[in-house]
Amino acid sequence: MTLLEVDNLVKHFPVRGGLLSRVVGRVHAVNGVSFQVPRGETLGIVGESGCGKSTLGKVLLRLLEPTSGRIVFDQQDLTQLSYRQLRPFRSRAQIVFQDPNSSLNPRLTVAAMLREVIRFHRIVPLGQTDEYIRQLLGKVGMPADAQGKYPHEFSGGQRQRLGIARALAVKPEFIVADEPVSALDVSIQAQVLNLLMDLKEEFSLTLLFISHDLKVIAHFCDRVLVMYLGYVVEELPCLDIQRDARHPYTQALLAANPINDPDERRELRVLEGEVPSPYNPPAGCPFVTRCPLVMDRCHQEMPPLETRAPGHRVACWALDPPRPGMG
Amino acid sequence: MTVRWLQSRSARKFFRHRPAVVALVVISLYLAVAVAVLLGGVTMEQTLERIGPGNLPGFQGRQLAEKRVEDCAMVLDRVEKALKRPSNLRAALGEIRYGLLRVADRPPEELRALVDQGWEIYDELVESPDLNADPSLLPQIEQLERLTGQLFAPLSGWQSLVRQFRLLLGTDRQGRSIMLRGVYSIKVAIQIGVITAFISVLIGSLLGASAAFFGGWVDHVVIWLYTTLSSIPYLVLLVVLAYAFSGAVWQFSLLGRPLSVDVGNTLIPVYVALCATFWIGPCRVIRGETLKIKQLEYVQAATATGFGRLYILVRHILPNAAHLMLINFSLLFIGAIKSEVILSFLGLGVKRGPSWGIMISHSAQEVINGFFWQIGAATVFMLVLVLAFNVLTDALQDVFDPKHL
Repeated sequence: MTLLEVDNLVKHFPVRGGLLSRVVGRVHAVNGVSFQVPRGETLGIVGESGCGKSTLGKVLLRLLEPTSGRIVFDQQDLTQLSYRQLRPFRSRAQIVFQDPNSSLNPRLTVAAMLREVIRFHRIVPLGQTDEYIRQLLGKVGMPADAQGKYPHEFSGGQRQRLGIARALAVKPEFIVADEPVSALDVSIQAQVLNLLMDLKEEFSLTLLFISHDLKVIAHFCDRVLVMYLGYVVEELPCLDIQRDARHPYTQALLAANPINDPDERRELRVLEGEVPSPYNPPAGCPFVTRCPLVMDRCHQEMPPLETRAPGHRVACWALDPPRPGMG
Repeated sequence: MTVRWLQSRSARKFFRHRPAVVALVVISLYLAVAVAVLLGGVTMEQTLERIGPGNLPGFQGRQLAEKRVEDCAMVLDRVEKALKRPSNLRAALGEIRYGLLRVADRPPEELRALVDQGWEIYDELVESPDLNADPSLLPQIEQLERLTGQLFAPLSGWQSLVRQFRLLLGTDRQGRSIMLRGVYSIKVAIQIGVITAFISVLIGSLLGASAAFFGGWVDHVVIWLYTTLSSIPYLVLLVVLAYAFSGAVWQFSLLGRPLSVDVGNTLIPVYVALCATFWIGPCRVIRGETLKIKQLEYVQAATATGFGRLYILVRHILPNAAHLMLINFSLLFIGAIKSEVILSFLGLGVKRGPSWGIMISHSAQEVINGFFWQIGAATVFMLVLVLAFNVLTDALQDVFDPKHL
């Protein structure tokens, strides 16, 4: 059953300039993205810096206002709701941020931070708040005496656990994890990832996992969306990405992954060219400036995202047209 | 809470900063004096009272012989005139008072005899061609002073201590105690500093934070307001505002009773003028800080929780800008004290009672005559306070800067 359905979502940031600060242009951060997330699934979003993946995550939770498009969460269109009307939704969907240094208010103790959230949404009866906080800290692997401490007294990994605890405090169904491990040491990354996996099982969460690391995504997710300059260029299941990836950009991302075997050497294919500016994107496919398979048509028209296998959609003119009947 | 704060990192950093601790002690002393004055330790009447001859130097310093003789003659003259009115002698003598000194309770004949003796010595002394340069006349001058002193009732031990304290920094041209005036001005300065800084930081922070947080037209209005105000030279604005209020009388009725406040004679014009110019600093700083903080992930997390916008501003943003408010408070505190001095010097500030600005402006004529005690005292009182606050502000900035060890 579909929990989240996104339909042709667009987010443009106006650029103001001149004496009267008129809108002189737009940064195209998310361009007509559509996808569905079934309940209980973990969907990965991958792409390089500035491709709009974090913006997408924030627009989904209405932390940023979408320019157009629909976000349907459990049969309710979020884009039609006011800030106040969104409150019930706020306890069902949460976010875990990238930077553990700025994701916790430095002036609030752990207990104060969690209590505020729990009381606001009346998650447990008032008398049980303290007990619930203790449980919650236990769940994310923090000692109970963390309650009275301030964020600066913890390490990066611990702070990320606290960020996860805050997201979990409202007993959400859906969590956007916005690069939750990319600011952490590799050894800590694995711990936090395992914690997220365990919690996902325990609370039967639906996850949207944003990362720039395909290996982490392949390990962690059921399906992955590959984004480039605000467009989804490929959507594929995570069973065997290495074999299934069709889009030249996805293949380039895979090729850029280091292999942890010194005997297995290969030629490194580095993408040439520059990423076009999202302020002034090309008319056709966004990848034209760097694509090894570029054709004339690519410059004129954006290829549609076409289904090529069950659960596998690719947007590329250079590939064979999809076989009929695969709709 | 307090214990927790004393053990915190900021507190430890602060107490390691030795000049800052000294500054804090100095400021505490000033505050204690201000409170003592407020509780009636020094009244305004006392600062306006003649306690001796004019322009006595501080620490009982040397004076020209001529001035010593003239000072005695002035006292002899006053007593003599009183003695010439036998109808109400008691009242006439009672009017002669120098602080705690009162005319001695002796029979009029004795007083008359003392005065006559005094005039004899005086006549001899003024005959002398070179009074100031002739040391052989000193014994006579001292005798004249002793005679003059005998006109007054002797002081008890405590009273003479008090009198010595009042004379410690000398007297101004009208014979008023410079010490008392300087000490009373501490209260005036701190009162103006605290009230102005508090109101300015409050207004500035609220406007700055709302401008940055709500954005849109609120931001435009606030920016327009402070850029406009800051394009006017600050001193001109200050003078114009203070001048506009200086003659004003506010009339209103409170609980059915008509009330009128003679605004021009209170400190209200000073507060209005200072606050109107001073809120710009904190407003600009807090606006910038709020712009920064509102992008931080913990504020987004609060939004994702669904908290009300005002709650997020008050609970998650303002506390994280509080250190800037504190630093701005101490900066504005000094600024207000210095500006009060300028305004008072121009005759637009404090209207009743002393203040450092009034003292400095009154000392203009004295400085020409080579008497520096009043201007010196006012300057030193102010210097120490301003210096202490500067050191403290500096230390506070270091303490609240997480990158500074």
